[in-house]
Amino acid sequence: MDHKNSDRIGERHGLTRRQLFELGAGLGLVLTLTPSGSFAEGREELAIAIPADLGGWDHDYLAFDLVGLAVMKNCYPFMIEYGVKEQGGARVMDTGTVEPVFAESWESDAEGKVWTLKVRKGVKFPSGNEMTAHDVKWSKDRAFAAKANVAGVYRLIGLSEASQVEVVDDYTVRFTQSQPSDLSNHIQIICLFVYDSEELKKHATADDPWAKDWATKNPQSGGAYNVADYKAGQEIVLEANPSFPLDAPRVKRVKLQVIPAPANRRLLLEKGEIDIALGLSRRDIDDLRGKSGIEVISSPSNEFVFMPMAMGTPPFDNPLVRRAMAHVVPYDAIVANVYNGNARRSTSPVPLDMPGHSPAGYPFGFDIDKAKALLAEAGTADGFESEIAVLAGDVAQERAAVLVSSAAAQAGIELKVTPLDPGTLFQRRSEKTLPLQIANGQMWVNDIEYLLAVCLTPTGFLNYAGYDNPRIVEIFQTLNRTSDKAARNTLFAEVQGILAADVPWLVLAQPHFDLPVSAGVSGWVQPVDGLFRLRYLDA
Amino acid sequence: MLAPVLVGVSIFCFLLIRVLPGDPVLAIVPETATPEDIERTRARYGLDRPLPEQYGAYMAGVIRGDFGDSIRTGRPVVEQIGERLPRTLELVALGFLLSLGASIVLGLFAALHAGRLGDHVSRVTALVANSLPEFWLGLVLILVFFAILDIAPGPTGRIATGIDYEIITGSLIVDSIFTGNPRALVSALHHLVLPVLTLAVIVVAPMMRSVRASALEVMRSDSYRCALAHGLGAKTLLFGYVLRETMVRVPVLAALVLGNLIGGSVLVETVFSWQGFGQWALRGLLLRDYPVIQAYVLVTASFYVVAFLVADIVQAALDPRIRV
Repeated sequence: MDHKNSDRIGERHGLTRRQLFELGAGLGLVLTLTPSGSFAEGREELAIAIPADLGGWDHDYLAFDLVGLAVMKNCYPFMIEYGVKEQGGARVMDTGTVEPVFAESWESDAEGKVWTLKVRKGVKFPSGNEMTAHDVKWSKDRAFAAKANVAGVYRLIGLSEASQVEVVDDYTVRFTQSQPSDLSNHIQIICLFVYDSEELKKHATADDPWAKDWATKNPQSGGAYNVADYKAGQEIVLEANPSFPLDAPRVKRVKLQVIPAPANRRLLLEKGEIDIALGLSRRDIDDLRGKSGIEVISSPSNEFVFMPMAMGTPPFDNPLVRRAMAHVVPYDAIVANVYNGNARRSTSPVPLDMPGHSPAGYPFGFDIDKAKALLAEAGTADGFESEIAVLAGDVAQERAAVLVSSAAAQAGIELKVTPLDPGTLFQRRSEKTLPLQIANGQMWVNDIEYLLAVCLTPTGFLNYAGYDNPRIVEIFQTLNRTSDKAARNTLFAEVQGILAADVPWLVLAQPHFDLPVSAGVSGWVQPVDGLFRLRYLDA
Repeated sequence: MLAPVLVGVSIFCFLLIRVLPGDPVLAIVPETATPEDIERTRARYGLDRPLPEQYGAYMAGVIRGDFGDSIRTGRPVVEQIGERLPRTLELVALGFLLSLGASIVLGLFAALHAGRLGDHVSRVTALVANSLPEFWLGLVLILVFFAILDIAPGPTGRIATGIDYEIITGSLIVDSIFTGNPRALVSALHHLVLPVLTLAVIVVAPMMRSVRASALEVMRSDSYRCALAHGLGAKTLLFGYVLRETMVRVPVLAALVLGNLIGGSVLVETVFSWQGFGQWALRGLLLRDYPVIQAYVLVTASFYVVAFLVADIVQAALDPRIRV
């Protein structure tokens, strides 16, 4: 870290170049005698630049805020977690295994309907209170009362009332679902976090029985890391929790610095002032490859990039047109030019690595002649005009849209690329008024049942295409009560056969997750939900 | 004056942001949300009620000092204003004072050297500076003084990490002086240099041009020529005639510039990771966080009104012909 060295040299000589600048600035502002010290002090500590501060500290009421959720994943105690496996030379979360963390055990009955959680004995919150079954019960009662994040997700596995969560003894909690579910482990990995109930009760009032006001403003600790310091809008300092029951985090202290401008995050990484820059664009990451002192960690990811077509809007209400569209997408060019080769070609609306994925779900390749033939068969031989909406400022989406637009022009389809701000984009997605759009998806639950629930059934929040196939809905409902693996696999195959015929989406690519870090930082485990797990990092 | 302006602004803003496409609820619900969840969330923020009822409830709250809760964070807006506004005011106040001082000096210099090289150079320089987009200028200053010369702090916010400080007013300079924390003071000043410079450079040109034009007008006036003909000294002419009369016109323009700085500091805040009032409002706007946008517009409008009131008072003090 050259920057650090220059400051230390400055200290020895009494006046640094930086201080000379301050004295000479002529602004009457600065008379400084010490260096700023805005850097990590050693490899026991990592400095990570994040794009935004978190919206609040209360997990139950947090808006869909990825930074906030990621921070909470590291500082809230979660009972269970996925294991880790090697894939393609990288470490990724193994969604096929479940590892007890603050739980001693997590088991279901033979049917998969009643789940028993045993909490580890002797684990303490930073307040000194012991973590018990009563904390779990109180936390889930609170979640049901909040009727927000956790309560919404729990519905998928048949948990809809607080009475379904019972304390058996001081260290045992029983969850009784209304039906068995194959998603229970996945959903509980998302939802089984625990508040220090004794601490929160101290801040409860008659008007605020769940201490929402206090929990929103005050960091919760007790996970792999504790929150040592929080300066709103500036930084969050995490310190390894000595009471963490698994392997202690290797990096003892992590500073999360809020740096909104991507150019600044990149610059600070290049200067050695931070160790990890999150949220950089593909272009910035490509520029950083090969630079001295910087490495780019690349992991296969479950994030997928797709282009939903508004199935209720002409001409995309015609499956022949949708199939024609599937033949005008230059798939290989997108992987090569948009993602610089750091992506995998998607071969089904069901993402790669999701159990049950089959290339039969998307039997299309770039073929302009086939596209023209299908357009002629659909009665639109002369092509048509439409637009592709992209998120303004998302360079990868814009570049992919331009490539699709150029290729489509060869088949007589004129596509205008329209960048939209987030507010407008969310609104128009909800109204299903976007004929074509590019979207990024990442399923928090690596399962086709979940994919159908959120993306491919009529009430799914991410069903941007307005897809409504009664057989798909029927399959989803069957999956919802089917735990038998063979039966589920049969249904998964049928789903992909239907999707291949209906083509609600164009599936563009599944990009790798690329993370630029300072040399020596390692251990990154690619999370299925996109929420970083700092405890695996090494430096 | 303040009350009718604010009521008008509040109605206009309230309606305008609801006409804009974008539903704040869609930005905050999880991916598993059902239509019922979305409606429940909408009801939680009162967005399911008729518009007049929403507005009435909002204004009743504003009168009590309650600007509602942010839809994105769930936190009271007034609390967030308390956190964010002092950061921006500190930045803007210093940028304003610097630009005011520089524009008076440069404007007078240009007028006294009218038509000569010094005049042309100062005018062209100010014009060029005024033409620069502030985000670009900020990035260039960061590149030059931090990345290349390594003599300025990185764009990491208002203070170096690892320095403890106590918040009283929200202004790091004031608070570190009050609490006797020289380390925090030095670091805060250190981090203010580039953003303040960026803001000041951008607004110096219009004020400088105004000062120059006023000074030239004074120098062409009968009273000034009479004083000159009577052989008054250069200092008397400058301070007793040119500067005093020139300053009469500055307050109104300065008020306008100050209002623009408060409303327009968002880009500088973003470039320097300032986490101020403007950046908070921009994020609110992008996600259609209605209470945040409404509060931002009301506070900014209030500043304009107060700034012009102060300008009128100052102008009246400088020129006895004017009555407030």
